[in-house]
Amino acid sequence: MLSLALSELIGAPVYDPSGTSPVGKVREVALVPQEDPNRIAGFVVKTKQGERLLTMKSVSNVNGGVRADSIAADWTPYASGEGMLLLERDLLDQQIIDVHGRKVVRVNDVDIHEEIADHHITLKLSAVDVGARGAIRRLLKGVVPSSALRSMMDRIPPRMIPWEFVDLIETDPARRVKLKIALDRLSTLHPADIADIVEELAPAEREAVFQTLDEEVAAQTLEEMDPKLQVSILSSLDSDRAADIVEEMDPDAAADVLGDMPPDATQEILTEMEPEERAEVAELMTFEEDTAAGRMTTEYMALRSSAKVSDAIDMLRNFEGGLESVSTIYIIGGGEKLLGQVPLAKIVLATPETPLMLLSSRHMPTIHPGADEKKVAELFDKYNLLTLPVIDDEGVLTGVITADDVINMLRAKL
Amino acid sequence: MSGSRRLKIWRMRLLMLMAVIGPGFITANVDNDAGGIYTYSAAGAQFGYTLLWVMIPMTIALVVVQEMSARMGAVTGKGLSDLIREEYGLRITFFMMIGLMITNFGNIVAEFAGIASSLGLFHISRYISVPVAAVLVWFLVVKGSYKSVEKIFLAASCFYFAYIIAGVLAGPSWKEAFIATFKPPVRAAFHDSAYLYMVIGVIGTTIAPWMQFYLQSSIVEKGITAREYRASRWDVILGCFFTDIVAWFIVVACAATLYAHGVRQIRDAADAAQALRPLSNEFAYILFAAGLFNASIFAASILPISTAYTVCEGLGFESGVDHKFSDAKVFYWLYTLLLIVGAAVILMPNIPLVKISILSQVVNGIVLPFVLIFMLLLVNKSELMGKYVNGTWFNVIAWATTIIMIGLTIAWFVSGGGT
Repeated sequence: MLSLALSELIGAPVYDPSGTSPVGKVREVALVPQEDPNRIAGFVVKTKQGERLLTMKSVSNVNGGVRADSIAADWTPYASGEGMLLLERDLLDQQIIDVHGRKVVRVNDVDIHEEIADHHITLKLSAVDVGARGAIRRLLKGVVPSSALRSMMDRIPPRMIPWEFVDLIETDPARRVKLKIALDRLSTLHPADIADIVEELAPAEREAVFQTLDEEVAAQTLEEMDPKLQVSILSSLDSDRAADIVEEMDPDAAADVLGDMPPDATQEILTEMEPEERAEVAELMTFEEDTAAGRMTTEYMALRSSAKVSDAIDMLRNFEGGLESVSTIYIIGGGEKLLGQVPLAKIVLATPETPLMLLSSRHMPTIHPGADEKKVAELFDKYNLLTLPVIDDEGVLTGVITADDVINMLRAKL
Repeated sequence: MSGSRRLKIWRMRLLMLMAVIGPGFITANVDNDAGGIYTYSAAGAQFGYTLLWVMIPMTIALVVVQEMSARMGAVTGKGLSDLIREEYGLRITFFMMIGLMITNFGNIVAEFAGIASSLGLFHISRYISVPVAAVLVWFLVVKGSYKSVEKIFLAASCFYFAYIIAGVLAGPSWKEAFIATFKPPVRAAFHDSAYLYMVIGVIGTTIAPWMQFYLQSSIVEKGITAREYRASRWDVILGCFFTDIVAWFIVVACAATLYAHGVRQIRDAADAAQALRPLSNEFAYILFAAGLFNASIFAASILPISTAYTVCEGLGFESGVDHKFSDAKVFYWLYTLLLIVGAAVILMPNIPLVKISILSQVVNGIVLPFVLIFMLLLVNKSELMGKYVNGTWFNVIAWATTIIMIGLTIAWFVSGGGT
């Protein structure tokens, strides 16, 4: 198996059976992702008669110039690169996402593998070069003889990213669909890592990522980002897409972003949301951000005082909220008054028939919705809490603050 | 009105002021660095009012060019070196970055010249002041505490008002100064190589290549997008006017004092400080030294790191002080070397500090058209800029600036400059 560099192919002379002098030069190397995401479909060749598309089927050799086995006049004229990924234009010098290394990198060169079977050549994209090797090769191309350049390249350790770990960023939605550019590799990463990557991109590219990602992943990623960026991303999306993402967010995080956005943009997103989620978020938005109520979520689990452990298990199974709010189950009485709380560990260890009230913790720190953030942090620290219920003057449970929110809040102050 | 309400209103006003003082204003302030102060001073001392005609066209050009940088940053969300790389490939970017690195290095040397000469007025040896300043700047930037001192630098930039007051107190011939501002120069001036050298220097220090890269990156970093751009535009324009008003007064102050008293060559900081004597006979030195020191160290905190960012981003190396040293070796080495070598140049015995500062600004002026050409090509690409491409007048002014700068450089060579 032979390895070629894209920079060696671009500008290479193209010969056809008619003679010994080249008929043109390679201007682009094209991939048709709808047919095959790795295999090179052909070359765009600049000939005297204009640009022509030379498909791989007619290529017999690519070393020391491209040799075709049909004459140039038979190649189809090249009209537009629609449906094609053009490696020089779309990949070389552009930024890509290195999913394995979890960062954004710039492409210095592209490695292509040549396979020969039944006298037929297949070229496959194998890796992108993001290191010094590709850069030096391109800088010295045409300055140093190509044989000397090749032997020099062998001595420089490459920094390659295998093609299967690469995700492309395409800002044009129509092209994204045609070229099948889906960020399916990126979306396998942890949302916090995706957030780090997205923060390195330009606004249009960020928007593209948030258009493409699955709503749930998009929501979790958004929560991990800088508040200012959250606002800028949500404002760049159209309101129904934004609403879809906001619905999947933790309600208190959703309320925080929407609270930071311009009022009419917030209103537009709220209108597009499902009534239930809208009511929840809208309620949370009425609280000042730096109070206990501003930090709480309304996604928590509460059961009546008559409930048993088996009811709690059933509820856990059907719970749709974030994992951070399952660590405690609350017991409420008439008028939603808070009566007790049971940590998840106790539920797991008890028999199904045990009444929940029996398991309720004896000490139950609570906080008033209007209390300031400092008080919240103090209680978490003093009682080593994972969750803290927020109750109003009548003792009604209005929401829950979870430890991750407190860590967030404290880190912002560090 | 209750106390808390009043406090809220004041907080709002302060926030609004801070909102206006953005990347444009900071860039403008750094623009009046050691190289700037010396070049403007020398221009006034050597040629009196006869260079003032440059100010108005230069301000228009500065506004246009800076606005283009800011707009490109806001619309594309990418730095200038990124855009050059993506649109023109590795090779062109490489040579551009080498050129920029050399040019910016000259500016860094000028900042250390400013540090050495300002503290020299307090009889602090440059063998102490320069290394200490270099180490201080290195830690300030790498340890991330730069942002917290930026406001102090900005506040200390009020020193420039000293020039405005000194300019007024020196009792210049206002009539002469205003006429000189609006009257084009005599043709013979364009055969005088010393005069041309100074014109290139004055324009080069005002519209410096590094500023375009720095401003565009700052806009991107601040997360300003096309929609919020309108407000930023005022920040940029305000900054440009601030730079050039200060420049005008420095030239006038120096013309009314140094030139009027026959001090035509500024050899050191002590000469330049004379311009502030109308303000206060005893404190002129202290005022000048403090101001020059602040300007120099402010710019020294920005130029090396911004150069390292620009070059690494264009060439695809990891960059940023939030990376570990092992993840961004090229970035850290480049930054450190720019500082160390820049400082080391100033430690060479008998190096003429003022001359070298002005030279660096002339190099700025010679390199500027190359940067402008790329900016113009990029800002007119509709696939990048959409409806935000340059309008006709912007293109006319920016291309004219490019051609005039090339013309001035050629004229300077022809008139025997550089020999």
